[in-house]
Amino acid sequence: MEFFRDTNVDFMKYRRFWIVVSLALVAVGVFMVFIHRRLNVGIDFTGGTQLILRFRERPDVDRLRSILEQAGVGEAQIQRLGADEEHEVIVRTPIQEGTEEGSAGRVLRALEAAYSAGAGSIDLNQRGVDALTAQLLAADPDGRRATEGEAAARAHYEQVAEAILAVRREHGLITSWDQLAGVEGVSAQTVSWLGQDTRLGGFAVLSSENVGPQVGAELRRKGLMAVAWSLVGMLIYIWIRFELRFGVGAIMATVHDVLVTLGLFTLAGFEFNLTTIAAFLTLIGYSVNDTVVVFDRVRENLRKRPGEDMIAVMNKSINQTLSRTILTGGTTILACAALIILGGEVLRGFAFILTVGVIVGTYSSIYVASPFTLLWEQIFGARRRRRSAGAPTSPAKPAARAGGAAQAPPSRPSRGGRRAAR
Amino acid sequence: MNRSMMWRGLLILAVVLGSAIRLYPPKEEIKLGLDLQGGMHLVLRVNTEDALRAEADKDMERLRQEAQSQGVPGVVVRRVADAAFEASGVAVDKEATIAKIVADQLPGWDWQRRGEQLAFTMTPQNEREIRDLSVNQALQTIRNRIDEFGVAEPLIQRQGLNSDRIVVQLPGIDDPERVKGLIKNTAFLELRLVDHPREGGGAESREAILAHYGGSLPDNVEILTGERRDRAGRTTGVQYYAVEKRQVVTGRDLKTARQGLGQFNEPIVNFTLTAEGGRIFGDATGANVGRGLAIVLDGKVQSAPRINERINDRGQIEGGFTAQEAEDLATVLRSGALPAGITYLEERTVGPSLGQDSIRKGINAGAVAAMLTVLSMFAVYKRTGFNAVAALLVNVIILFGGLAYFGATLTLPGIAGIVLTVGMAFDANVLVFERIREELRAGRTVKSAVEAGYTKALSSILDSNITTLIAALFLFQFGTGPVRGFAVTLSIGIGATLFAGVFFSRWLFDVMLARTRVERLSI
Repeated sequence: MEFFRDTNVDFMKYRRFWIVVSLALVAVGVFMVFIHRRLNVGIDFTGGTQLILRFRERPDVDRLRSILEQAGVGEAQIQRLGADEEHEVIVRTPIQEGTEEGSAGRVLRALEAAYSAGAGSIDLNQRGVDALTAQLLAADPDGRRATEGEAAARAHYEQVAEAILAVRREHGLITSWDQLAGVEGVSAQTVSWLGQDTRLGGFAVLSSENVGPQVGAELRRKGLMAVAWSLVGMLIYIWIRFELRFGVGAIMATVHDVLVTLGLFTLAGFEFNLTTIAAFLTLIGYSVNDTVVVFDRVRENLRKRPGEDMIAVMNKSINQTLSRTILTGGTTILACAALIILGGEVLRGFAFILTVGVIVGTYSSIYVASPFTLLWEQIFGARRRRRSAGAPTSPAKPAARAGGAAQAPPSRPSRGGRRAAR
Repeated sequence: MNRSMMWRGLLILAVVLGSAIRLYPPKEEIKLGLDLQGGMHLVLRVNTEDALRAEADKDMERLRQEAQSQGVPGVVVRRVADAAFEASGVAVDKEATIAKIVADQLPGWDWQRRGEQLAFTMTPQNEREIRDLSVNQALQTIRNRIDEFGVAEPLIQRQGLNSDRIVVQLPGIDDPERVKGLIKNTAFLELRLVDHPREGGGAESREAILAHYGGSLPDNVEILTGERRDRAGRTTGVQYYAVEKRQVVTGRDLKTARQGLGQFNEPIVNFTLTAEGGRIFGDATGANVGRGLAIVLDGKVQSAPRINERINDRGQIEGGFTAQEAEDLATVLRSGALPAGITYLEERTVGPSLGQDSIRKGINAGAVAAMLTVLSMFAVYKRTGFNAVAALLVNVIILFGGLAYFGATLTLPGIAGIVLTVGMAFDANVLVFERIREELRAGRTVKSAVEAGYTKALSSILDSNITTLIAALFLFQFGTGPVRGFAVTLSIGIGATLFAGVFFSRWLFDVMLARTRVERLSI
């Protein structure tokens, strides 16, 4: 199977139209993010507390909200997470004035009172191995203390506790006593003691994060710097390896990609956090990558025939690299699609950015990078053209120069010339 | 087979085998990040101002006492800031004495006269040293406490050379609240004599105590509170004590502390004192038989039993503890008191179930991505696709081997990075194969087309990979935790792709073409 053998599409023909389209997309993206203010910024940057909880039964978001309000944690954002049968909820509270430490404790206590109260010394869905071991040792349902002594009994109960809590680790929380019945290493007496003396709380904490205001501000700063410096770094690298005009084109394409993807990302409502910044930086890497491949070909073609019209060279280079662009773009999109579909909640935002970014990046390498480079060339490249048109180099050149000179005028900006050339 | 091919082949074999061996067994060799194996990540700040204040209090008291003993009575000292205090009541002609005291005993202070007062401020160097010392002490104390937990591979470090922050990473922790409490517990233990009620026990209310003193407390006494508990250890209310400000012994005089059982089989903490502490304690208890001894923890009275006889070097702390609370208190006392308070700046706890879930899903996605990529390779490049698939395999082996070799941590974004690398590993091959196709179309022989393909495509491959590397570099520089793991995975992936997609792939071609004279390439 071979795609695009010797295509000769004139990509640059409607380049001004495409520049306008691209700018429009960017404008929409910027509008979404900054003016419409729908960007869902995570606690990494705003500070605050975020808890992911799993309930035994389907949680009622409104009830949760009222419980938290009564506990004094008024502005909690509560959302269901993931598949319905997983009973997962994400609770987000903003920074409490004057404290660094967040409201996780208050939220958990309030929820415990409402969902996990009851008789029983410890909540198997909340406490850890050490606590359970201590309780088991004190109660000694297997009678080990008498027969084997303190130390051996403790070791035994530690294993039992591990086995019991492994069930919780596997499923996130223990929903019924039956789940403990068949566990290896746990005797029937132990299970019945558990049923009598401990309780199964109504929820378990899958993850808990708290970011104080200081750290939030720092992460914001670092995130921005990472993106800004990356762009600068790449611009410099391309400037060194190619020329400034290419660098400009590449950076315009990259900025375009970031802003458009950001706009779509905002529309989709994903959370914007540190991992998202990592995704954007990868996107920037890929976009520049893609653009560089085209420009590399342009550079090669320019070396072969120096005086040739830039527009023709651009077109030729894009056509030559089209096969590669589509293929690599295609496989990358397939990989990212696999991530979106199979990768789970936590990675979904990341995968979305990469998928959208690859599509937009491929588009921009053709319709943003090259046109902008041409634009830059038209506005600032006068000196270069004068130099290459007038400078005597090798015997082979005059022929090319004659051809080049004949073709050069159409690419210079002039109101009348444009109509005549294209 | 020519020599270059042989050497290259050996190198490739060495790298691949090396990676494969380093990788085995995978569960142990690859370090998993906290977001994958579950655990706790804490960034805490040592409130070094507490240490400064304590030092200022200590020094200013010393100044007052020294001044008094050297003939300048009636000096009144007052702290005005964390590291500054004022002394008043010093006549100008007595300044020389003060100067001498400061020179001899308080070298960390600058001072000058401001009207009626002498203003003392801590030298910047002294301040820096005290802050530094308190952070290091806190670090050591926290390490001691965490040691007791038996966490595998805990990470407890100062965040940066001069910082007042400490980073704590504890994989596998399943009871984060307990750990936070344990770390944060200042655990400042003091044993002080009770002034009223004299025989120990406590009074009902603040007013009752004040009434005893006729309305105002003497200078050497302060009122502290404690919990009233019933026989079973449950809290039933609050008690008040008038306790001497003077400390008989403090936590610094502890030799050891251990949990045990009290007279009703309730959990308590037994402690023993050092030789010096024991002596002081023995003298104090011997001289005060019949009085109450307040056991004060962080400013709250745990209990105030009556001294029945001279006690030389041991005591008990009871407080309605559960078995675990007693154990934790003993741990905390053994590790020493924290020199300053602690504020938690950032805390992330991930339960292991979330991590396991993520790994499963990540592996699924990776497997599917790999399969799709392999299928595309064959579909587009026919039999030459083998070359690309082999390169991908080598790529993945080296990637994981590299992770294990560098001790890099695999995080959830890192898994995404690997999936991405799989998708993009194709790119190097595509660039080359497309070039080869072009060269073949232009009429070159198979061998020279392959050579030309690799040579001409190299600059594109290098440029594009270096730009991704630049992004990874800045991500590493400015990122934390999971993002750093991603940057490292990405960087190693680029190295692996270059080696596998260019060096190995070229060698494979050379080997293939050297055997028989190939007229046509299935590409």
